[in-house]
Amino acid sequence: MAATGEREDPAFPVGAACRIDSRSPWRQVAEIPVGLDPEGIAVDVARRRAFVACSRSDFVSVVDLDKHEVVAEIQTGAEPIDIGLDVQTGRVFTADAHSDQVTVIDSATLEVETALPVGGYPSGLTHVPEFRRLYVGNSLGSTMSVIDLDTLETVATVDAEPGAGAIGVDPTRGLVICVNFVAASANFYDAGSFEEVGRLELGTGTCAIGIVPERGEAFIVNSIAGTVSLVDLDAIEVVDETRTGQAPVGLTVAPAHDRIYVTNRGAGTLSVLGVADRQEWSQIPVGNGPGGVVVDPYDGRIFVANAGSQTVSIVEDLLAAKPPAQVVEEASPWLGNKLPSFALEDYRTGERRTNRDWAEKKYILNFFASW
Amino acid sequence: MREGARSGLEVVLVDIWEGTEPRPEVERFCEMWGIKGPILLDPAGELATTLGVRGVPTNVVVDSDGTIRAFGAARLDELEQAIDDLYGRA
Repeated sequence: MAATGEREDPAFPVGAACRIDSRSPWRQVAEIPVGLDPEGIAVDVARRRAFVACSRSDFVSVVDLDKHEVVAEIQTGAEPIDIGLDVQTGRVFTADAHSDQVTVIDSATLEVETALPVGGYPSGLTHVPEFRRLYVGNSLGSTMSVIDLDTLETVATVDAEPGAGAIGVDPTRGLVICVNFVAASANFYDAGSFEEVGRLELGTGTCAIGIVPERGEAFIVNSIAGTVSLVDLDAIEVVDETRTGQAPVGLTVAPAHDRIYVTNRGAGTLSVLGVADRQEWSQIPVGNGPGGVVVDPYDGRIFVANAGSQTVSIVEDLLAAKPPAQVVEEASPWLGNKLPSFALEDYRTGERRTNRDWAEKKYILNFFASW
Repeated sequence: MREGARSGLEVVLVDIWEGTEPRPEVERFCEMWGIKGPILLDPAGELATTLGVRGVPTNVVVDSDGTIRAFGAARLDELEQAIDDLYGRA
C-alpha cells in the first residue's frame, strides 16, 4: 500500500476528480475496452496479461498489462462467465454457461486446447493448485464438477443446489464450499471425499465467496439482499452480516488478507471492507455495472470487469489501514429535482413514450440490463 | 418491483447497456422472469447517463409532479421505505 491514513503518497497524487473523500484515497490506472458483458478476469503475472471472459461476445479478451490494450481475442463456447489460470500448466479455463462446458486455453500460444463437458449452465469456477483440482459450479444442473487440473478428467460430479456457481476452497481445513444463487445457500464438502459436511441458508442472491483460512472465515456476497455474510468455517455458521453498496456481486480477498473487495453492480463502485472489523472502509468508483474482480499479485492493482461499460477498470487502493471515518454514500443530485424529459421507444409497441405518458402519476423507473 | 406493484405504483422498466440489439435480449429476459408491463429501450443509455445511473438495478421513484423522491433503492427494504415515504406513510 502506498499511503498511510489520510496522508497521500506523492508517487500517487490523488486529485479532487478521482476520490470520494479525503479519507478514502484511490487511483484509477486505466479503463480498457473489451468485449461485451465482461464478467470473469484472470491475471497472468509472468506474461503481464489479463484474460477477460466476455460472456456476450463468446470470447476471451487478452489484455496487455503494460500497454493497457487488448492484444488478442480467443473464441470460447457460448457465454463464458467465469475464468481462471493454472500457473503450473499454463492453462486458462472458462466456464461457458450456454455450452455446458469448460474451454481450456493455452496461455502461451493463446490457442484453445480442448473443451470439457460439465453440468448445465456452468457459471462459476475455482482452481486449487495444492489439490490439483478445478471446481465448477453448474447452475441449472445444481451440481459441482471436479476436474483434475493435469489430466483434465472429471473426477467427481457432486450434488449441489439450484444456482450453483461460485466456489470457495479452504485448503487448511480441506473444505470446498459451493454457493447457490437461486437456493440462497451454501454447501460445504470434504475436499477429499466430497461428502457434504454442512449447509447454510444465506441471503438472497448468493453469488461470490472469498476465504481467509488463517482466520477460519469465509465472506459470501448476497447480491439481492445487498449484504456480505461472514461465515465461521469451523462452526459452519453465519456470524455477521455487513451491508455494502447497491447490488454487490463480485468479491476477492486482498493479498494481505486484511480487506476484501466487493463490486457493487447497482452502484458502479468497489467496496473495500475490513476483514477484522467488517466495516466498509471506502468505495472506489469503477465502470458501469461492475462484476468480476481480482487483484494482480504482482503489484496489488485491482481489476474490475464492468458489464455495463464493456470495460475493465484497473484501480489502486491507497488505504494503508482503516480510515478514521466511515465513508458516506453521496446522494444523487437529482433527489428533489424534476425528472428530465425523455422520449424512449416502447419495447412492446414500438411507440415513443415520454414523461407526459405518466403525467400526474407516481411511478418507478427501474433501470435494468438482461445480463 | 413486487412492492411497487403492490402499492399501485406503475413500474416502468428501462433497458440499458445491452451492447447489442436489445430486443432479443429483452424478450429472453421477460420470458425468463415473466415480466409484464411497460419496458422502454435506452440502448445508448442516454437517460441513464443524464441521471447519473452507474449500475443496475437502479430505481428512480417519481412523484406525481415529476419530482424524483428516491434514487438507487436496489434493496427491498430501501424500496419499501421509498414507497412509504412517497405516500407519506410512517
